[in-house]
Amino acid sequence: MIKKKVTIVNDAGLHARPAAALVKLASKFESDFYIHLYGYKVNGKSILGVMTLAAEKGAELELELDGPDEEEATEAITELIADGFGEVYEDGNE
Amino acid sequence: MDLVKSTRMEMSNQVNNTEMYITGAPACPGIVIGNTSLYQRARPHVSDTQITDDETEVHIHKFYEALDIAEEELEALLENTDMEDLADLIEMQIAILKDPELHNRIEQEISANNKPVDAAIESIFRNYLQVIRENHGETFQNKSVDISDIRDRLLQIIHNKRDDIKEGAILVARELSPREVISFSNRNIKGLITDRGGATSHAAIIARSMNIPTVVGTQRATEVINSDDEVVLDGRNGEVVVHPKDETREKYKSLIEQQFKRQADFESLCKKPNETSDGKTFSLQANIEFAEELSIANKYQAEGVGLLRTESIYLSRKHFQNIPQQVAFYKSILELTTPHQVTIRLFDVGGDKFFGDEGKEQNPFLGWRGIRMLLEQPELLKNQLRAIIKTSEDFVGRIRILVPMVSTIDEIRKLKDIISEVQNELLNEGIDIDKDIPLGLMVEVPSVALKADLFARHADFLSIGTNDLTQYVLAVDRGNERISNLYDQRHPAIWRLIKEVAEAGERNGVPVSVCGELASDPIAASCLMGLGINALSMNAVVLPSVKQVLRSNSYIEMQQLAEKVLAAETMDDIDNIFSNWETKE
Repeated sequence: MIKKKVTIVNDAGLHARPAAALVKLASKFESDFYIHLYGYKVNGKSILGVMTLAAEKGAELELELDGPDEEEATEAITELIADGFGEVYEDGNE
Repeated sequence: MDLVKSTRMEMSNQVNNTEMYITGAPACPGIVIGNTSLYQRARPHVSDTQITDDETEVHIHKFYEALDIAEEELEALLENTDMEDLADLIEMQIAILKDPELHNRIEQEISANNKPVDAAIESIFRNYLQVIRENHGETFQNKSVDISDIRDRLLQIIHNKRDDIKEGAILVARELSPREVISFSNRNIKGLITDRGGATSHAAIIARSMNIPTVVGTQRATEVINSDDEVVLDGRNGEVVVHPKDETREKYKSLIEQQFKRQADFESLCKKPNETSDGKTFSLQANIEFAEELSIANKYQAEGVGLLRTESIYLSRKHFQNIPQQVAFYKSILELTTPHQVTIRLFDVGGDKFFGDEGKEQNPFLGWRGIRMLLEQPELLKNQLRAIIKTSEDFVGRIRILVPMVSTIDEIRKLKDIISEVQNELLNEGIDIDKDIPLGLMVEVPSVALKADLFARHADFLSIGTNDLTQYVLAVDRGNERISNLYDQRHPAIWRLIKEVAEAGERNGVPVSVCGELASDPIAASCLMGLGINALSMNAVVLPSVKQVLRSNSYIEMQQLAEKVLAAETMDDIDNIFSNWETKE
């Protein structure tokens, strides 16, 4: 089992579109996937569960993955979240 | 005897079926007469009985069947939509249908608590929605609508409700989601009437892009209209006549006939050159906000986009930060409008849209909005400029930038500095941008119209936004129903200001166009032509009717008309001039 912390960086937070992207990605892996936040624990493959978290920008999620492909899954999911679900400003030219 | 009988029948008819008028906001023009179907978004009554252990398997099976049907429907919708927002929404609904936790909990609710399938769905969704609302607060309202929408669809499928909507009916509903409008359009719905929503709601825009005559925001349509009532829907002015009297029906029937004839002529008309009967040329463009609106604009041969509104980029999602997504949006518009120009208006919103309650102002229309706000939010402004200028790489000579709410020369100077900064950044990155993108000003603040010569010298073109100009000149809040009778874009004072701007443009060699609602009234458009403005941009659906009037009259007649409105003293004078012109043939 792997546990890893990752911070939401996109301004809009974990709203509907990112939540859909997250569960879509997570569902490709066999490993069980849970997210911990503010004392809640939800199934990371459940979009309704993820949306109940109401995770905003700056929220620190703890990912918990357990299964045969847990390492690849952790890497892929961390990358998606850290990239702001493709919603962040693309480069550093601000 | 017969007379008595028929009189009595007539009386009873009157009691039950008195002609009644209700009005709402026109959302897509066109007149239709037909029978209504009432669409009950309200969920079917959910069973409150318990099921036996033997029945649970059947109910679980029913649940999975409903999921499959709903998913198939959504996949079909997804295939038929090229609107990105809508695709996201449908993807989210599909993800809900596939949610493994949802499956577990509903199965559990059926098998452990002996709940029938509909009650199980109802209670599990209620739990989710409650938690989501508590955690998100008010801001989540929009998304929870999409969640309850999918729940309602599942319940409808389980109750085998074909929702009582007849082919070819005029649909009456409290409100409609974008998904619903698309799915109804597949069933030949003739028209749409809703209690709630505005002409700029997402659902209304979709109705418009599909050319379904629509009236929204009637407040009480579902209260006063029953299923199978005869109604007349006039999408031109937002009027609905319930139980029309014979003479009303006849009146509208002949209007429809006229319209129908016109419609048939429209497409051939639109292929003809844009010139008056005495050969003066003009250009008609479309005002749009979404790529979907271009299907009609192209059908009616619009010469490009005279006003591309970009507020939805921000308002629908936080796209303004995301340059690739903005570029993709602009590209999608430019690709569909070859070889014409597209005039992109910079974000035109008030501060409250970005900064919540802190941005709330006493008089938002006189406040921190348009360029005033953009200059103080350099990141927002630069991101948009960067996206627009970057897009120009592939579309040299086809993009124009339009600046909203300009009121001082200083604003233009500052903006030009920022534009060259962004240009240089992109050039340094080796991007081959269009270095001569024309910069135009919206003429909507009265002081700009009054000093049009000065502003013309600092711009490549001027575009008169009559909607806001009118509200500023007449001191009438367009949204205030109490004084809405005072708001009329054809007011004599407005004509005088437009004349000033047209002449200043001419003197300074700067093209002047009109992109306000005024241009979409065919007679007003003739007047604008008479004042020397030959580029007009409007909602695409009215292009043919404007073109027809402009083509069938001479420029000399239009100049005479313009002289008359300039000499008019009151709105009554204007009304007379307009109705005389209409009946002059």
